[in-house]
Amino acid sequence: MKNTLLILLLGTSLWGYGEGALYWTPHGCDEGKAAASKHGGHGKGESAMFAAMNLDGNATARLVSPDLSVKELRFNQNTVMLPAPKIGGYYAMVAESNVSGNVYSAVRYLSLHGRPVKVSPTKLTAAPKAALEIVPDPLHREHDRYTASKSYRFLVRFENKPLGNANVTLETHNTPARTVKTDASGSLSLTLPNDFKNVRTGRSENKSSEFLLTVRYDEDMTQYVSTFSMPYYVNPNDYWQSQSLGAGAIFIGFLGGLFLYRRSKKGVNHG
Amino acid sequence: MDKLLTLTALRRVVQLSAFVFFVYGAMLFTTFYTGDKLTQALPALSCAYDMSGGDYCALIPLQHQMDHRVSTLFTQNAGVMEALMGTLITIATVAVLILILNKAFCGWLCPLGFFQETISMIGTKLGITQIVSLSRDTVNKIRPIKWFVFLFLVLIFPILAGIGLLGHEWGSPFCSICPSRIMTTAMTGDMNQIYISQAGWGYFALSLIADLMFGLMIALALFVRQPFCRICPILPLQTLFKKIGLLRLVKNGDSHCDSCSNCVKACPMDIYEIQNQTVAENITHTDCTLCGRCIEFCPHDGVMSFKYGPITLLSSSKESFKKRTKIDKWWKG
Repeated sequence: MKNTLLILLLGTSLWGYGEGALYWTPHGCDEGKAAASKHGGHGKGESAMFAAMNLDGNATARLVSPDLSVKELRFNQNTVMLPAPKIGGYYAMVAESNVSGNVYSAVRYLSLHGRPVKVSPTKLTAAPKAALEIVPDPLHREHDRYTASKSYRFLVRFENKPLGNANVTLETHNTPARTVKTDASGSLSLTLPNDFKNVRTGRSENKSSEFLLTVRYDEDMTQYVSTFSMPYYVNPNDYWQSQSLGAGAIFIGFLGGLFLYRRSKKGVNHG
Repeated sequence: MDKLLTLTALRRVVQLSAFVFFVYGAMLFTTFYTGDKLTQALPALSCAYDMSGGDYCALIPLQHQMDHRVSTLFTQNAGVMEALMGTLITIATVAVLILILNKAFCGWLCPLGFFQETISMIGTKLGITQIVSLSRDTVNKIRPIKWFVFLFLVLIFPILAGIGLLGHEWGSPFCSICPSRIMTTAMTGDMNQIYISQAGWGYFALSLIADLMFGLMIALALFVRQPFCRICPILPLQTLFKKIGLLRLVKNGDSHCDSCSNCVKACPMDIYEIQNQTVAENITHTDCTLCGRCIEFCPHDGVMSFKYGPITLLSSSKESFKKRTKIDKWWKG
């Protein structure tokens, strides 16, 4: 009952966001957080429970491990609980459904703690996970994070081939959707908006928000819709860090060095 | 062509290749991720903040291990092995790397070392008067700083942050002031590491020190050799294992050594001790970066040499001294 209410609340707050597309979003209930904590903690404090929004009854979900092995995930209503990770690194959570001839897919990557494997996450992103797919190019490193005001590249693939001239929509909770076209090689670059509200000073004082990329493609009377969702964070340089002051301090340090040079020319530091 | 056949020329080629690999390696030679990195415990300043880099230095895992693992000995009564295992693995990896190359990681591979040497070359070409050697007194005053940096910024402050006695910003304070963080990220076009933080006094102080020191390092490198290397905490870390290093600087001094100070003048770290008369002794000093300049500029046959285990790789000689001096004059115009 509590979960249903949470889903309803989440659905209402995200009205219009990701409309008509299947996408993943973290489910911040206590149960999910407790499970993540039991697993030794998930990347960036994420919950172990995720909800697939706009889910149809015939949907399936699976978790692709860093070593590319696949585990089926079972839906409880529209949520899945991730199992304790046996190996560490990037996982891909994939949901797929087929509704009235339309093929929907959602992919989300998450970094989980565990025994390290000697498999590059490049293999995970390169592996086809759905007919139509948005792939981060590259997926940021485990210790990095998607950050507002920074640009990132993505690749759109259909049947594992780059899809040029495709419209990709970027949505966040606070910024109206905007569309970017992929180039001939299926690639696109976009800047995440600085649209956080009530930002407080300090990295740990601000929660992440979600961004959603959606691509639609029609072929043989079938519409394919695929999404990519991830959290993104406040960029400190937009708020409590000043780059111009930083550059000024470097200049002052440089002047200090030149002052020492003048002193050295007078013989103070000669050996 | 003959001008190129010197130890310094070889070192420059190795340094440039290492710089490209460590700063841009993930883009050029491997794929993008940490999982592809070689060791994550390199005893040289290859920065983890550089998201395009091919590897990273041992200091960031060490600080994190102090902050998140070693501190649990005091806060959660964690088992000794659980608390220390990560640190032991990092230290063991460093030990293996030191066994292979010893302190040559500094003189031959460190991106920040190469950056400073490049600025120094620019300074020479700009006609800026170079300080041949810092005075013995100045050197003695500077030397303890690196131990202070290693003990406090790499070990003690992160532990205190983990215990909760210091704020989160003290969890990795050396990285917060390290010029390699600013240099390597800037070299990949990422200027986000140049900032003054207003998130609190600790953040403010560390970011201010970092920027001031970066500017100071660039200016000093124009006329003083290797200014930051003299206080770099990698040196104490390497020193813990320098006795096991297969590569070493050996001196077989004679009476000429008392009057000749070519080796000291050649040494970019101003190690006066290498002038002392010794017989077949390993003289790899804590500050030595195994650059080999002392061998190149020693005018006596077989006095200074590089040895790898029992094998002599290079020895000083009159011939190579003459050649090296000629090249040095040509370079300085």
